[in-house]
Amino acid sequence: MANDSEILPEILHVGIDLGTSRSAISASNGERFVVDSFVGWPADMVAKKVLKRDVLIGHEAVANRTMLDLHRPLERGLLKEGSDKDVEAVRELLKHLLRLVGVSSNGRTDASNVRAVVGVPAASLRTNKQYLRNSMKGIVDSLMIVSEPFAVAYGLNALLHTMIIDIGAGTTDFCVMKGRYPGEEDQRTLTVAGDSLDAQLLKLIEERYPQANVTVFMVREWKEKHSFVGEAPKRVLVTAPVKGVPTELDITNEMRAACETLVPPTVETMLDLLSRVEPEFQERVRNNIILSGGGGLIRNLSETLENALKQVGGGKVTHMADPVFVGSDGGLALALDAPDSDWEKLTA
Amino acid sequence: MDRVKRQLLRQAVADNLDTIRGLPPRSLRPARRFAHLFLRRAPLVIIPLMLASFAFLSSTGVPSTRKPAAIARPPAARHVEASMSPMLMTDTLEPVSASAFPLSVRRVVLDAGHGGSDPGASSISNVSEKEITLDIEKRLGALLRQNGFEVITTRDNDRLIPLRERARLANGSHSDIFVSIHVNSIPHPDNHGVETYYLGPTNDPTLTKLAATENLTSGYALADLRKLLDGVYADVRRDESQRLASAVQLQLFSGLRGVDPGLENWGVKRAPFIVLVATEMPAILAEVGCLSNEREAEMLRSGTYRQQIAQALFHGIHAYASANDAPQKKGT
Repeated sequence: MANDSEILPEILHVGIDLGTSRSAISASNGERFVVDSFVGWPADMVAKKVLKRDVLIGHEAVANRTMLDLHRPLERGLLKEGSDKDVEAVRELLKHLLRLVGVSSNGRTDASNVRAVVGVPAASLRTNKQYLRNSMKGIVDSLMIVSEPFAVAYGLNALLHTMIIDIGAGTTDFCVMKGRYPGEEDQRTLTVAGDSLDAQLLKLIEERYPQANVTVFMVREWKEKHSFVGEAPKRVLVTAPVKGVPTELDITNEMRAACETLVPPTVETMLDLLSRVEPEFQERVRNNIILSGGGGLIRNLSETLENALKQVGGGKVTHMADPVFVGSDGGLALALDAPDSDWEKLTA
Repeated sequence: MDRVKRQLLRQAVADNLDTIRGLPPRSLRPARRFAHLFLRRAPLVIIPLMLASFAFLSSTGVPSTRKPAAIARPPAARHVEASMSPMLMTDTLEPVSASAFPLSVRRVVLDAGHGGSDPGASSISNVSEKEITLDIEKRLGALLRQNGFEVITTRDNDRLIPLRERARLANGSHSDIFVSIHVNSIPHPDNHGVETYYLGPTNDPTLTKLAATENLTSGYALADLRKLLDGVYADVRRDESQRLASAVQLQLFSGLRGVDPGLENWGVKRAPFIVLVATEMPAILAEVGCLSNEREAEMLRSGTYRQQIAQALFHGIHAYASANDAPQKKGT
């Protein structure tokens, strides 16, 4: 019989969206956090002395990148095999996210009481599922890894006759939900996504303003504020140093051109996947297309995709106004719905 | 919705348990089960078909010694029947669709084009085709192995292997498909694209020239080549090769255009490359890039880009394998 004074360990369920650009966590204790998916180790002894830390994560890592050996573990949607640093980076990122929601070795909730559902880019699940699982070994008590679009669909209850288009940083994942766990034939992954858009935008700006000193980090920030396709909602004016002098640059055309590189492959893949849906369900899927991920916030993108759908009878594309926690909330819903008997089998 | 959610959860958990147990991807396993089932039940299909064809051929006066070739052979046993003339099938009988005998893709031969004293195409900046194809072959091999495929390679270092020897190695390995990796070089340096070939006749003089270049080290006499071509152009495996080529080309283009918006889709084509002629399994030759385009040559120097090519090829092979599995699920 249990002693009344004995405190029972509290099981914490968490959903984690391990993204290529940002990672988010939603926990059953109500906590939610998002961090940049960057992990950095001081590059040398001097950096270590200045930073006074063994490892920096998220925004801190980006801010101090010049002193760090900086890693983005799931760059291009894949965990690079054989790269110990990238594996270590995934582990540090997960531990950091868990600490943010109150998991600690000396608190009421330690890692041995955590059940986690981790959503990862679909491409990494397809190609290195085993490696990914091994990399996360021992961090939590029980672990379930699912593809990110599936976690999104689950969280939104969009499980039947729905298409999720998750435009992340490293990959754009497509997933048609047919009321079953999505298989290879229901999913597609493109590497044209936020990062390729950043690279394209940087290149176009450098071509137009060769004297300007612009980095990919600046470009990413501008993209997040001003991205659009089609008609420009307003001129995109940004400030960057030109020969050391802060100068205003008009990058409206470059922004449009870079963002529109997403459109043809996205349309092509969307229509291809639609054509593979059973004919009687195609109309329902066409009217239930959900844009998630940061790319879903590109202005006019959902309208542009709807225009493309007109050639096959029209459809409805909805974008998530706040895509940050959609994946992690979906993961949390999965974690809470899974029965204890299943969690016992999924020991990490 | 609750019922759907419960079912999805069960499947998600099962998928994770498979990973914990180290089982290969689910999409591959039913195929193996079906392959065993097929081998057990194949006689039930083949014997009546053979009897029917015997009766039919007897009535048309075709010598009976050649009749077995009229039956579309099960791909699982194709390596032992190489000497039969598949021409009979199209001449005398309604062709039997290869999809009636679904393939279980388990073992893949990867062929890195050129090697040793034969560098293949080269860029102005001196990047050679043989180095790129070998690197992509290694990367693709790793991806396939991680996903439960067996991989045979025709070369794993920088040495010249005659094309005939490559085909012999592939045929001796009893593999299910053959994928030859090459890099293009064309007279128009501004253009670059990807294309995938399967075996077939072509009237295009450019393709004939390309095939002649790639066939230089074949070791086959012209007469041998003619005989081989006559024998295989109507082979049932050509349909399978075409499907494999289509799956690979789709993934190559869609996978690479994201990083290279200027990339052109040159499509799926037919050409008489010797490695495609002499191999006895569905076979394709993928031209994964273009060294004559300096910008692309520069990209091909990057390991990241070569990894993307390997991934695109892998997705194509996987899609082909999965598509082959699809009709089998109904039967299991």
